[in-house]
Amino acid sequence: MIEARDVSVAIAGKRIVAGVDFAARPGEVAAIVGPNGSGKTTFLKALSGELAYTGHVVLNGGDLLAMKPVEIAIHRAVLPQATTLSFPFTVREVVKLGLVGGRSGVLQGEDARLPERALARVDLDGFAGRFYQELSGGEQQRVQLARVLCQVWAPVLDGKPRYLFLDEPVSSLDIKHQLIIMNIARDFAKRGGGVVAILHDLNLTAMFADRIFVMHRGLLAATGSPRDVLSDDLIEKVFDCRLRVGVLPAGDMPFVLPQSTVC
Amino acid sequence: MVDQSIAGPVKVMAGASDGDRSDRARIVTLLLCLGLVIAVLLSLTSGASDASAVNVISDWLFGTVPDNAALRARDSLIVYDIRLPRIILGLLVGAALAVSGAVMQGLFRNPLADPGLIGVSAGSSLGAVAVIVLGATVLAPVTAWFGTLALPLAAFCGGLATTLVLYQVATRRGQTSVATMLLAGIALAALAMALTGILIFMADDRQLRDLTFWQLGSLGGATWAKIASVGPIIVLALAAMPFLARGLNALALGEATAGHLGIPVQRLKYTAIIGVSAAVGASVAVSGGIGFVGIVVPHLLRLLIGPDNRYLLPASALLGASLLLLADAAARTIVAPAELPIGIVTAIAGAPFFLWILLRKRGVIDL
Repeated sequence: MIEARDVSVAIAGKRIVAGVDFAARPGEVAAIVGPNGSGKTTFLKALSGELAYTGHVVLNGGDLLAMKPVEIAIHRAVLPQATTLSFPFTVREVVKLGLVGGRSGVLQGEDARLPERALARVDLDGFAGRFYQELSGGEQQRVQLARVLCQVWAPVLDGKPRYLFLDEPVSSLDIKHQLIIMNIARDFAKRGGGVVAILHDLNLTAMFADRIFVMHRGLLAATGSPRDVLSDDLIEKVFDCRLRVGVLPAGDMPFVLPQSTVC
Repeated sequence: MVDQSIAGPVKVMAGASDGDRSDRARIVTLLLCLGLVIAVLLSLTSGASDASAVNVISDWLFGTVPDNAALRARDSLIVYDIRLPRIILGLLVGAALAVSGAVMQGLFRNPLADPGLIGVSAGSSLGAVAVIVLGATVLAPVTAWFGTLALPLAAFCGGLATTLVLYQVATRRGQTSVATMLLAGIALAALAMALTGILIFMADDRQLRDLTFWQLGSLGGATWAKIASVGPIIVLALAAMPFLARGLNALALGEATAGHLGIPVQRLKYTAIIGVSAAVGASVAVSGGIGFVGIVVPHLLRLLIGPDNRYLLPASALLGASLLLLADAAARTIVAPAELPIGIVTAIAGAPFFLWILLRKRGVIDL
């Protein structure tokens, strides 16, 4: 369980996040949504121990401020929005960096093939020998997700749930891979882990999130299940955009929703 | 599916999995060990004198042959007291410079970082020259207290100060700008050289002669005493560096991500800076400014075995040591019986190589 109480973050004297309460439970996908510049990424950075904050964050029973990087890394893995590499690593070498902490949670001896398994998971089978820099943005994002999955391969370790922090995991992906990645997140939660994801696509959010945290100007504007949160009023207030929830486009305008997947 | 024929996957070798270059790295490391042995033997037998290392080694193994005993004694002197210390110093300095280069490149996340290029060596020189010139006057208590360690210690402090300032200037929020790093390095090097110039201006004739080799770099002054004073520093620094390898690998993904992976980033950075300053400082203290080893060696090796520091750092030590021995052998033989400063040899070979890297990477490195 991750619990944040009254978390505020200031960068260079400017308050970016103010008094946010937040909780991520094992077995759940928690989505953070909100307009650009509303403090979502900054809040996630505080939650992952990367930025200094005021307030309290408790990660699996321990005070985040009192934990060392190596301890925090056992409990959660973080997928940033984009990652640039300074040296010509192969895809396999990048994914293998996820194992640097040595607590993937797979059985002894299975570590060696884990990069390949993680790559297959994100639909990059056969990419292990390619150079990271030669891949497209979406492929690089999936390589990074494979690395992140390696770090917390077992969603539960030593009886404690582990967490995936995903900052816009599907922003540069095509619709097929958006679904693949979100299904990975949901599956991780189903098997006892927890997921915290910043998302922009409200349809995907409605489809995959168990709980939504809406941020607006550094504050928590609303929280609850997708059904409770996604309302005309909230969307107009937060996104400054008059949209109606659950209304089909007029006439014969085509529309495609992730929910419409034919299995 | 993406068409993989555009940029085919790196098949490394049969049996190994795709993209895993560790087997290749191990083979290259073995070959480098072999190369180092050859380089040592070559240096042992080459030089201005015709002294035969083969004779000395056979004497050492099978006892002195009675005929020509005087000649054999001379050869033994040359090999033990002149060539051997020079070789050991060359090994230490070559390994120290190459590994320092690789570590700095990992730390700055940038393949162009090099102790010589960005002013660390200049800072070390300043420290060393200060001790040589002011050792008898202003800094007399320091030299009295630290004895033979004063010189490498001052060089270490000079290098450390430069690296710390450079890191503060060039790094913002965990991202190092290449342009800022190189330009700040130029500024710091200019400042250090100006201060060194003031000291040289103050120096007397005897000190001037001592100082000449700082400008050019040379292994010529190698003695067992010098090895005893800087050897332990270099060996200690080199022994610490492999422990940084995993952290430096993670740092390639950025400081934040390295932290997410559980790497204590601050400690890693400061250990790396202190290790590099110690290794470069000690090297500069005994051999002056030998440039380009730190950039050429890791770059060549990255092309061969990839950027994984667990293999790159030991391989850099081996190749750096071998190349410096070969450069020294060249320096001793090209204009024999006189000898070229080795810094000239490494610069003549290294500077065009550096330009070649720049040309190849012009599109990749954001300058």
